[in-house]
Amino acid sequence: MVGKIEAPKKAGRLGMKASETIYQVFIGLILALIAATMILPFLYVIVISFTDSSVYVSGSFYLWPSKWSTEAYRLILRGSGFLNALRASCFITFMGTPINVCANAGLAYMLSKDDLFGGKVINRLVMFTMLFGAGMIPNFINIRNLGLINSWFANILPSACGAWTVMVMKSFFSELPTDIEEAAEIDGCGTLRMFFQIVLPLSLAMLATFTLFALVSYWNCYFSAIMYLTDTRKMPLQVYLQKIVLSTDISEVVDIQDDLRNKVPQEVMRMASLVVVVFPILCIYPFMQKYFAKGVMVGAVKG
Amino acid sequence: MTAAANRSWKSSVRARVRKHAWLYLLGLPGMLILLFFNYLPMGSLIMAFEDYDPWKGLLHSPFVGLKHFQRLFNDSKFYLMLWNTLKISFFSLITFPAPIILALLLNEVRSGAYKKTIQTAVYLPHFLSWTIVVSLTFFLLSSEQGLVNKIIVSGGGKARRFLFDKSIIYLIIVIQSVWKGIGWGSIVYLAAIAGIDQGLYEAARIDGANKLQSILHITLPCILPTIAVMLILKMGSIISVDFEQVLLMTNPLVKEKLEVFEVYIYQNGVKSGSTQFSYTTAIGMFKSVVSTILVVVTNRIVSSNGMKGIM
Repeated sequence: MVGKIEAPKKAGRLGMKASETIYQVFIGLILALIAATMILPFLYVIVISFTDSSVYVSGSFYLWPSKWSTEAYRLILRGSGFLNALRASCFITFMGTPINVCANAGLAYMLSKDDLFGGKVINRLVMFTMLFGAGMIPNFINIRNLGLINSWFANILPSACGAWTVMVMKSFFSELPTDIEEAAEIDGCGTLRMFFQIVLPLSLAMLATFTLFALVSYWNCYFSAIMYLTDTRKMPLQVYLQKIVLSTDISEVVDIQDDLRNKVPQEVMRMASLVVVVFPILCIYPFMQKYFAKGVMVGAVKG
Repeated sequence: MTAAANRSWKSSVRARVRKHAWLYLLGLPGMLILLFFNYLPMGSLIMAFEDYDPWKGLLHSPFVGLKHFQRLFNDSKFYLMLWNTLKISFFSLITFPAPIILALLLNEVRSGAYKKTIQTAVYLPHFLSWTIVVSLTFFLLSSEQGLVNKIIVSGGGKARRFLFDKSIIYLIIVIQSVWKGIGWGSIVYLAAIAGIDQGLYEAARIDGANKLQSILHITLPCILPTIAVMLILKMGSIISVDFEQVLLMTNPLVKEKLEVFEVYIYQNGVKSGSTQFSYTTAIGMFKSVVSTILVVVTNRIVSSNGMKGIM
């Protein structure tokens, strides 16, 4: 392989070019293969979810169904199981994300000021939460003592402020040009105005990145839901999906009056529900890529 | 310190605090969240040293010292959990080079648009929940409806129960982890590669080095510090597994292979009520302390080698 791609020393410009093309095609094929493993499972699930029951039941293995149908989606989207889960996921995501971004950005901005009294100690205390966690049972008892069992805030608040996010935001804030802030301070600009009207507008790309991260992590919330929520009707979409995929009789989870078993095969329903749950992530993903491609995250990963 | 000096120190503190009053207000929500949800639970760790009785409360339950830790170290289940955790970590350590190889491959692509398309595809799984990943696995591998078995059966073979097979459950878990993490993991190496001086490649090319030689003698040595940091940081999490993944993949037939600390704590502590609170808290505390030590030690190693850890 190596011998092939290596240009023979005698070869002229043309030979050089040909071997380079072969090399590029070779590398491109390997990468396409890797990328295909990421995309094909989704395509498979999407195709099956739109397959008509009669075609699916006939049992033959196919790549392109002869008859399409949206029956599975109509059943799922009408079921109260989905609507309840959607309400829970929307509350957790859209309530949690602003809280998350405000808490992290505020704390990070505070810590980015070197002359703050107590700043070093608070910084240490924030970092310590990254090193040591009390564990599952103490967290559970804490949530119970705070009266947050079966409240969606139990899914929002514990992860609303994270040491890692604070540290990344902090280093971003301290790298902002200081002269703008100094000039504003001389003009009598107060701390709050400075933060909201000068610092935040300068940090939009960074804030967008963390907003999208928060959206995704709240939408994906699973464990804190099965841990802290007791009412099955308050469970978010991830729990709904997990129940549908695991249960042998899904009509109870979907919760709809029609007798499902006679209409759409369970496996088709399962795949349709996966598509529904993953759809919002696929929608905001292109925006996320735009931001983390800008290098904000690379700086963060490097520490 | 004299009284006067003390007073002036106090007043200077007051002045400094007052100067930044609004700044403290901005940081207050975050500080309160960390206080209530990260520091407050640490108080409950006392439970690990007492026989917790919910009626008597945390402060009045009988103190039993290290009883639960003694039980822990005599419990064969504990060694099973530790062994399982280490095995899963070991297998994920084997796949450590995967993101590096991906980054090297991506770096060889000339066409910017093609590279971007591939990157879009490989970063995606990082943003999916374990519920989604595990569901996809079921759709592909389940006994009757799974795609793989359908292909096997249509080819005249006999369907296999992959998800209930003790001998390949770790393989499935590792493949899932690589699938989810390889793209995201490659970003840090791509950044390191982007920082390499292009003149080195130019010089190597003039000296007649081929592509593979350039990768082996320029790219890899240049990103070696990054690789070292990532490897050391990975060692710091050797006692932790992706708990949601393991919990979702568990079933009665592979249970003994996937019994790890968090799954045990969840199933015996949270689900079965308060009788096991003290013991499971002790298990959790053991894990927390060990992983803290590991992270601190690995960070020391990283920074003492002149590299930047997370601290």
